[in-house]
Amino acid sequence: MTNMIEILTSDYGVHLAILVSLYLILAQSLNLTVGLGQLFNLAHVASYAVGAYATALLSTEHSASFTVCVAVSISLCAAFATLLGAISLRLTTDYFAIGTLAFSAVVSALLINWKSVTHGVLGIPGIPRPELLGIDFYDNGNFLALIGIFAVITQAILYCLYNSPCGRSLRALAEFERAAASLGKNTRRTRNIAFCVSSAFAGLAGSFFSYYLNYIDPSSFGLGEMVFILTIVIVGSPGSFGGVIGATLFLVLLPEPLRFLDISSTYLGPMRQLLHALILFGVVWWKRDKLFPQRRTV
Amino acid sequence: MLELSDIFVSFRSAHVLNGISCSVRGGETVGVIGPNGSGKTTLFNCISGFAPCRKGTITLRGERIDHLEPYLRAQRGLGRVFQNFGIFREMSLLENIQLALESRRDTSAGFLPWSKRTRETIERSMTFLKDVGLDGKAREKASSLSGGQMRLLEIVRTLALGSDLFLLDEPTAGVSPRMKEDIAQSIRNLQSMGKTVLIIEHDITFIQKFCDRIVVLEEGRVVLDDTPERVRSDERLQEIYFGRDDRSARP
Ligand SMILES: Nc1ncnc2c1ncn2[C@@H]1O[C@H](COP(=O)(O)OP(=O)(O)OP(=O)(O)O)[C@@H](O)[C@H]1O
Ligand SMILES: [Mg+2]
Repeated sequence: MTNMIEILTSDYGVHLAILVSLYLILAQSLNLTVGLGQLFNLAHVASYAVGAYATALLSTEHSASFTVCVAVSISLCAAFATLLGAISLRLTTDYFAIGTLAFSAVVSALLINWKSVTHGVLGIPGIPRPELLGIDFYDNGNFLALIGIFAVITQAILYCLYNSPCGRSLRALAEFERAAASLGKNTRRTRNIAFCVSSAFAGLAGSFFSYYLNYIDPSSFGLGEMVFILTIVIVGSPGSFGGVIGATLFLVLLPEPLRFLDISSTYLGPMRQLLHALILFGVVWWKRDKLFPQRRTV
Repeated sequence: MLELSDIFVSFRSAHVLNGISCSVRGGETVGVIGPNGSGKTTLFNCISGFAPCRKGTITLRGERIDHLEPYLRAQRGLGRVFQNFGIFREMSLLENIQLALESRRDTSAGFLPWSKRTRETIERSMTFLKDVGLDGKAREKASSLSGGQMRLLEIVRTLALGSDLFLLDEPTAGVSPRMKEDIAQSIRNLQSMGKTVLIIEHDITFIQKFCDRIVVLEEGRVVLDDTPERVRSDERLQEIYFGRDDRSARP
């Protein structure tokens, strides 16, 4: 027990808390599209990458301030989502899954091949921590406070949004689009808003990711990451606010005890992915009928 | 109020509506009957904008609405009650009504759950639920309701939306005989509020009590359009429902 307390207050504990905060932002914002709107959004990690790269490039090459980097990362992601939504949310929602998948593929290709900007697989090193109010954010404890505040604000905004008229319309049209339209809901606009907001928060998370690691490369933004965030939403039950918070804690912290077993670090990564895959498989099988309520049409 | 002229609707090669013309005056209640597959629901879908018409015009209060998206038609006063229940089962009864109120121009919906405007919407929703005696279940999921209660909820939700033209698609299908009377009561209630009502129904004895007119559809055409008494006694009705040879049977 004393061992546990030591871990939680150590650097390692702070690191875990930062990870949890980061994934709270990522997962809850994905829940807005995948859960509430039942939109199969596969572009979340692509937006996360756009946010991360925007912050990395601005802060290394233009020494832009924290506020500017975060604002640009968020706006850029919102802009991309608006554009992508305008194209792929016009038709049925199946096209949306394909559209977002295509967007992710384009972003991954650019991260690797547009070397003059993204430095390809070498990535971008030397990203400074934020400079704000004279606080030393190279200290992880202070950084945790910063990202923690943003994570809490994100949860609060999304909680209000879930229960706001817009969130209600989103849930309604996911369940029965025609009935929602018959209640005067502009279904296309509602979906676009949801996608845009979802993406903007992914951009925010990306910004913090860059600041925290000080170094980013394309390997952090692969399909595996998308699957991991989707797993959080599915384990937490799509559309459930509290469920996704619980699932984030559970899935981010679950593989950690593996570290203390005597396993070589080359196996650690794959073992963790295997564990996540097994959990995802288990939950999908267990809740196969209830995961997404049946969509209705007339 | 509503003017349909020469409406044609087809899905691929299936011609479902073949030149429907009909006009409904404000405050009138019109029954729509016809055998299964005669295009009744498609006619409603066409009016609400879910089935595109290949030809013809739809006019609501003098304004052409046939090019408008469904949600814009709803905002112009068109209310729809679906054949297979249009309520949101995953939401509470309260939220079902809130959704309708939040679409109205005269209600400003609040973003924060605890804001004054949100509380006002909830209070107003409760009064609508009280009118149909469902206020006791306000916070329960709508999926916990019986078929009849779901229909009542959907009708009162459309009322909360502020619609003045109601399209009711088989409001008594899948409803227990006892609840049928409650639904009849809520339709009479709509009439007393001066709403215009179109009802699709199989049970002609049920609707003739409140309809001013009954329109009979067959294979996407209007066969009869007359008072309930005259439609009932018209032999074409028997022909449509029971075939030409069996004159002794009555609906
Ligand atoms: N979206 C569609 N695509 C193809 N065919 C359709 C579509 N909607 C309706 N139809 C066809 O149009 C015909 C009329 O259907 P509709 O639902 O309007 O009948 P109805 O009069 O409401 O029947 P019921 O009494 O069973 O409700 C049916 O043959 C149906 O198969
Ligand atoms: Mg029908």
